[in-house]
Amino acid sequence: MSVEPDLPGSRRHEHLRNFPPVSAWDHHVEYDAKAHPRKVPRSYMLIPTTCFNCESACGLLAYVDKDDLSVKKLEGNPAHPGSRGRNCAKGPATVNQLDDPERILYPLRRTGERGAGQWERVSWDDALNDIAGRIATAISEGRHEDVMYHVGRPGEDGFTERVLNTWGVDGHNTHTNICSAGARLGMSMWTGFDRPSADHANAKVILLLSSHLETGHYFNPHAQRIMEGKQSGAKLVVLDPRMSNTAAHADAWLAPWPGSEAAILLAVASYLLRTRRIDEPFLRRWLNWQTYLAELHPDAPQDFDTFLDRITADYAEFTFEFAADEAQVPVERIAEIAEIVADCDGRLSAHIWRAAAAGNLGGWQVARALWFVLALTGSIGGRGGTSPNGWHKFIPQGPNMPSHHEHWNELIWPREYPLATNELSFLLPHFLKEGRGKLDVYFSRVYNPIWTNPDGFTWIETLTDPDKIGLHVALTPTWSETAEFADYVLPMGHSSERHDTHSYETHAGKWLGFRQPVQRVAMDKLGEDYTDTRDANPGEVWEENEFWFELSWRIDPDGALGITKHFESPYRSGEKMTTDDYYRWMFEHSVPGLPEKAAEQGMTPLEYMRRYGVVEVDTDIYRVDERALTDDELADTTVDPNGVVRKPVTLDSVAPVFGEAGAVGVRHDDGDVTFGWPTPSRKLEVFSTAMRDWGQGEHATPGYIRSHVARSEIDLDAGELVLVPTFRLPTLIHTRSGNAKYLNEISNTHPVWLNSTDAARHGVRTDDLVRISTEIGYFVARVWVTEGIRPGVCALSHHMGRWRLHPGEGSRWVSGMVELSHPDGEHTWLLRHKGGVAPFDSSDPDSSRIDWTDPGVHQNLAFAVHPDPHSGMHCWLQKIRMEPARPEDRYGDVYVDTRRSAEVYREWLAKTTPALGPGGQRRPEFMMRPLAPTRRGYRTTETPE
Amino acid sequence: MRYGFAIDQNTCIGCHACTVACKTEHEVPVGQYRTWVKYVEQGEFPATTRDFGVMRCNHCTDAPCVTICPTQALFKRDDGIVDFDNERCIGCKACMQGCPYDAIYIDADTNTAAKCNFCAHRVDEGLEPACVVVCPTHSIWVGDLDDPESGIAKLVNQNPTQVRAPEQNTGPNVFYLGADRAVLDPTAAPTGDSYLWARPDEHRRDVSRDLPTDPVTKARTTLNTAHPRPWGWRVTTYLWTKAVGAGAMFLAALAHLLGIDLDVVGDIVAPALGVAGIGITGALLVWDLKRPERFLYILLKPNPRSWMFWGAIVLAAGAALFTAWLALGVLETTGVLTADPAYDWLAVPALVAAAMTAGYTGFLFGQAEGRDLWQSPLLFWHLIVQAVMVGAGALALAAIGTGLGAGATTLLLAALTLGTLGHLLMVLFEFLGRHTSKQAAMAAHMVTHGRYARLFWTGGIGLAALAAAIAGLGWATASLLIAAVAGLLVQAALLIYESVFVRAGQDVPLS
Repeated sequence: MSVEPDLPGSRRHEHLRNFPPVSAWDHHVEYDAKAHPRKVPRSYMLIPTTCFNCESACGLLAYVDKDDLSVKKLEGNPAHPGSRGRNCAKGPATVNQLDDPERILYPLRRTGERGAGQWERVSWDDALNDIAGRIATAISEGRHEDVMYHVGRPGEDGFTERVLNTWGVDGHNTHTNICSAGARLGMSMWTGFDRPSADHANAKVILLLSSHLETGHYFNPHAQRIMEGKQSGAKLVVLDPRMSNTAAHADAWLAPWPGSEAAILLAVASYLLRTRRIDEPFLRRWLNWQTYLAELHPDAPQDFDTFLDRITADYAEFTFEFAADEAQVPVERIAEIAEIVADCDGRLSAHIWRAAAAGNLGGWQVARALWFVLALTGSIGGRGGTSPNGWHKFIPQGPNMPSHHEHWNELIWPREYPLATNELSFLLPHFLKEGRGKLDVYFSRVYNPIWTNPDGFTWIETLTDPDKIGLHVALTPTWSETAEFADYVLPMGHSSERHDTHSYETHAGKWLGFRQPVQRVAMDKLGEDYTDTRDANPGEVWEENEFWFELSWRIDPDGALGITKHFESPYRSGEKMTTDDYYRWMFEHSVPGLPEKAAEQGMTPLEYMRRYGVVEVDTDIYRVDERALTDDELADTTVDPNGVVRKPVTLDSVAPVFGEAGAVGVRHDDGDVTFGWPTPSRKLEVFSTAMRDWGQGEHATPGYIRSHVARSEIDLDAGELVLVPTFRLPTLIHTRSGNAKYLNEISNTHPVWLNSTDAARHGVRTDDLVRISTEIGYFVARVWVTEGIRPGVCALSHHMGRWRLHPGEGSRWVSGMVELSHPDGEHTWLLRHKGGVAPFDSSDPDSSRIDWTDPGVHQNLAFAVHPDPHSGMHCWLQKIRMEPARPEDRYGDVYVDTRRSAEVYREWLAKTTPALGPGGQRRPEFMMRPLAPTRRGYRTTETPE
Repeated sequence: MRYGFAIDQNTCIGCHACTVACKTEHEVPVGQYRTWVKYVEQGEFPATTRDFGVMRCNHCTDAPCVTICPTQALFKRDDGIVDFDNERCIGCKACMQGCPYDAIYIDADTNTAAKCNFCAHRVDEGLEPACVVVCPTHSIWVGDLDDPESGIAKLVNQNPTQVRAPEQNTGPNVFYLGADRAVLDPTAAPTGDSYLWARPDEHRRDVSRDLPTDPVTKARTTLNTAHPRPWGWRVTTYLWTKAVGAGAMFLAALAHLLGIDLDVVGDIVAPALGVAGIGITGALLVWDLKRPERFLYILLKPNPRSWMFWGAIVLAAGAALFTAWLALGVLETTGVLTADPAYDWLAVPALVAAAMTAGYTGFLFGQAEGRDLWQSPLLFWHLIVQAVMVGAGALALAAIGTGLGAGATTLLLAALTLGTLGHLLMVLFEFLGRHTSKQAAMAAHMVTHGRYARLFWTGGIGLAALAAAIAGLGWATASLLIAAVAGLLVQAALLIYESVFVRAGQDVPLS
C-alpha cells in the first residue's frame, strides 16, 4: 500500500482539493462534463508528463481515458516542485496539439525539388537506412563535421550530446545565439555560470529586464514566485520600452530608450559605490578585486579600501544625468530606481535573459552591469537574492557514457567569436555560402530557422542548394516553413508522446522532471503489448530518443565504429537499449536520493518517476560558493598562486559543465577553502582575465557599449524609429503553438505598437498600413496607436507571420498561403500572401469556426544578421524607416535583397577580432560549451598571434 | 451553503490560463468562452496602466437567468451554483437577455445555452473548478461564502471587494479584489479599432463609437470577447405581427362592448388578423429557437416564474379565443346562426387576451435584467397602445369599401389617431425623459443621438408623426381612404421603431 505523499502543489479550499489523490491516479472516475448534470462516469488514468511548449518544462498530468487511451485533457502536476500543479494557458492547450487534425502522422520523403511541395509516404525503415548510411559514410571517411544536428531548444540536457559523442561528431548546433547568448556572456564573465536563478519569492526588490509575468524562462514558475514576493512586500521594478503585462504590475516601470539599460544599471552601481551602500564584507571576500587593482591601477596600494576608492572613481562618469540622457527618461526616475535598489538589504532578485541583452550591440554588458549591481548589494547567492542556475539545476547521466570527442567544428564555433557562449548558428547559411564547409546530413529538430532566424531568405537559398546541404532531415511534430524545404519530414511526438528529462532553476531548489509518452505508460499499466512508442502514438509518430538509439545502431550495425556499444542495454548484454533501460539506469544510478524515496513507497526508481513524473533533488540551496570542499575533492590537489585549488589534468581531460578542468575550489585569504565560482579565479570577476586574454581587454570590466539603435543613431525626423520585433505574448510560443486552437482564438493578430506622438508625426492612425524598411528590404504591417510604448520605439510581436507554400504543408489554424517571387533578379525575394487564415473543414468542427483572418507579418525575413562582435548574439533590435504603405504594397508583404544581406553580414563580421588565447586555445575552458571536446580539442596546433 | 469565487486582480497576470483550462475541461467551441480575461488600459505615456479582469458567470443569489428560463434548464443548486441542463434547453436565448454579465452563450455544438457552471461535475467529486487549479498566481479563490471560517469568506470579509453591476441587485457571488473600476464597468472603457493581439468584433467596434471616453483616464478596452446580439429581426417582426393581430382583436372586442357594430371588419377581419398575427408570431418564435424541435418543452417542462412560459400561455389562450371569435363570425356571416349572445360571453375574455397578447412582452422584457432600456414600467401599456395603433391601421385599411357605419368608422379613426399620438408621446417620454440607469441612458442616447438616430427620427418618429397627422385629417373628414394611408404608415413606423428598440436594448456592452 503506497503512502499518500505530501505534494508541493497540492492545495485545498476547505473540502475542495485541486487534484485527485495519488492513490486514485491509476483509476480516477470523473463525471462527464458535457453530460452534466446527468452523472456519466468516465474512468481515467492520471499520468504525469511535461509541457513541451515553452522551456519551463512545467509538469502536466494527462487524463488518459481507460476506454480508448485517448488523452482527454492535461492539468498540472501537483508533484512538480517548480510548477506546483499550475500552468499557463499553453499547458492545458497541449490537448489541442495532440488532437490537431492537421498534424503529421507518417514519415514523408521529398519527391520533387526542395520546396516544391511533392512528398511521398516512406517507411521508418527506409528513412533510417538512408540517413544512417550517409552518416556512416561521413564518419568512416573522417568527415565528422559534415553531420550537424540543429536544435531549437535543447530537449534534454546531455542526451543528444551523448549521441553525438558516440559518433565523435562536433555537430551540436542550437538556436541560442538568436536567444540568450548576450545575457549568457555577461553573466559568464562574472560567475562562470551562464544563467541567473532569481529567488523572487523571498526578495525585497525584484528587478526585471524581462517580462516574466507573461513569458520567458520560466514564465509560470517565476510568475508564481514574483507574485508571492510582491504579496510579501517586495517592490517590483521593470525596465521595458513597452508596457508589458509585467510592467503593468510594476511598482516602478521605466521605459528607457533601447540599449541604454547598461548605462542605467552602471549609474545605479556608481550611486551604490559613492554612497557606500554596498556589502563590503561580501565584496572583499568574493570579488577578484586584487586583479582589478593590479591590472588597472598597478601603481596604487593593493588593498581593498583603495580598490573601493578607485572603482568608485572609475565609475563616477556614470551619473544619473548621463543615464537619463542615454535612456531619454527623467533623471528623477533613474534616482528613484537607484534608491529602491539601494534599499534591498541584500535581497535583490533580478533577471535578464533576452530583451535588452538580445537586442543591442553590446547587449551582453547589460547582464554584466546587472551582476555588478547584484554583487555590490551583496545579493548574490543568498536567500531572496540571485543565484547562478548551476546551483538549482540537476543534470543526470545515462548508462554507457561515451568519452568526449576531440573535434572542433568551425562552422559552429568560428574563430571570430572565441567568447561566444554558444554556437553562431544563425550565420550558418553565410558560412556555407562563403565556402567554409558543407553539410552532408543536417537535422533540424523542432527548429524553424527559416521562420525564426533573421534573414530567412538566405536560409532558403542555402537549404535549397544540394551542394551546401546533402540531406536535410526535419524532426518535428508539426509542419514548419523549414520542414517545407526538407528532404525527410519525420514526425516526432508532442508533449505527452515522448521521453526525456528536464531540470531548471525555477527557484532555490533542485528537481528532475520526467516526460513520458502517457499512452504508452497507460498500455503498460493495462498490460497491453507494444514494440516502441510508435505503437502508442497516433499514426507512426515516434519519439526522438528511440529514433537516436535506432539510428545509431544502424550507423554501426556490426559495432566496428565503436558506436553500438553505447546503445546496448546495461541490463541485457548485446541487446539494443530501450528507453526503459536508459531511464531505469539513470534513475537507479544518477539521481541522488531517488532510490531511497522510491524505496520508501515500495517502488523502483523508474516506477517512482513514472508515477510522479518528477523528483525533488534538493531544497533551499543558497551560497554554494561557501561550501567547504569534501575530502574527495581535496584529494590530490595543489593551490596555484591565485588561490585556485586544482587537480592535475591532461590534454585528454574534459572540462566539467561549469569551470575549468581540474579546478575544484578556492583558498581565501583567511585560509578557508571553499567551492567558489567556476571562473578562472574561482571568484566573482569584476575584472575578466579571459576577456583580456582573448584580445578584448578594453571590455575586461563591466562597461557600456552604445547600441546600434541608441538614440544618437536614430533620426526621428527622417522617419526612423527603433523596432522591437521580439516581444512575446503569454498565450503563444515561437512557432510551436500554431496548432493550438484555444490559443489562436485569443491571440491572432499583431499590429505595430506605435506611440501616439510618433503616429501623429507619421500621420498614421490605427489600422493604417505602413511600410517598414530595414537595411535589406521592407515589410508591410498594420498600425496600432497606443500609449503602451515609449515614443521613438515601435514594436511588432513575435509568434505571428506564419506561411505555407503548398496546401497541406502548414497549419491552417495559423498560416496563410503565400507566393514567393524574385521581382528584381534571383537575389531579390518578395513574399506575398494569397489569402489569410480562413475556416476549413476537418474532423474538428471548430476549424469551420475560425473567425480570425490575420496570418501576420513575417518580419524576421527582413532582418539582416547582426552578430555582436563579442557575444556573437544576434542583435535583434532594428533601426527602421516607417512610411505609409505605397499603392503597390499589400499587407504582409516582405521584400528582401539577399545581396544586401550578405553585405550586412560582412559589415558585422568585420567588427570582430579573431583571436586565440594562451597556448593556442580557441576559447576559455571555463566557459560552458555544449558538447565540449577534450582539452586537446580546444587547442589548435597553431601558435597564438 | 453559497459557493462563490473571489478573484484577486492584485495578483492576476492576465495570462488566460483560466480561459484555456476551462475550454479544455468543457470542450467549449472556438469563439465562445465560459470565462475570459479582459484588458483595460488607461492614461497617457508614461503614466499608462493596464488592468485585467476575469469575467464569468456570477452565480447570482437572485439569478435572472434562472427566473427567465422558460424550461428550468437553468437552475440554482442548493450549494449556490447556478447550473444548467442542456437537455432541457430550447435555445430561446432569453437567459442571455436576463444575464447582466454577458456570461451565457449558445453552444455551437449543442445549440443550447451554456456558461460557467462552477465545474459542478468536479465540485460534486470534491475537486476545485478547472480555472482555480490552473491559475499560476492562485488569483482565483473558491469556497463557501456562508462559512465565515472558509478562506474565501475571510478574504472577502477582510478586504475591500467589488462586484460587477451591483445596481442590478442580482446578488453576484463573484467578488473582485483590487479590480479597477474601468475593468468591471463595461461602459467605462470603450473598445478602440484594434485590440492588442486580437480584433474586436464589428458589433463591439460600432457600439463603442457611441460610448463616451473618460476625458481624464481615457480608459479603453484592449482585449475582450465578442457577444453578438441574441435577438434579431425575428423578434422585431414578432412584436409587430403580434401587435397587429392583438390590436385588431382589441378593437373588435372593445367595439362589441361599446355596442358599436364593426360588421364584417369586426366579425371576420379582426379575428382573422388576430389568428394570423398569433400564428405568425408563434412561427417566428419557434423559428428563433436554436432547438425549435423542443418548442413544446415550454409547456411540458415549464418554469412558472418565466414570462416566456406565461407568454406561451397568453398566445395559446389568445389563439383559442380569436379562433372562436372568427368561427362565430364565419357562422354568422354565412347565416348559420346568430352569434350575439356568444359574443357577449367572449368579448371580455377576448379583450383581456388581446391586451395580454400585446402587452405580456413588457413583462418578459422586464425580466431581461441585462437590458435596462427594456426595463420601463410603461412598456406593458406602451405595447397595448402600439397594438391599438397598428390594429386600427390594419382595420382601417380593411374597412375601405365595406360600407362601415359612421360610429364604427369614428371608432377606428379615433383609435388610429389617438393610438399613434399615444405611441409618439410615450416614445418621446421614454427616450427623452430621465432614465433609471446609466445603461438605459446609453442605449437611449444611441437611439436619439447615436448610431440609430437617423433611422429613429425619420422612420420611427417622423413616419409616425406623419401618420398621426394624416389619421387626424381622416378622422376630421371621416375619410377611411385618407386614414388608410396612415394605417399603412404606422405599420412601417412601428417595425422601424421596434428594430431600433430591440437592437439598441442589446447594444450596451455588459462585459
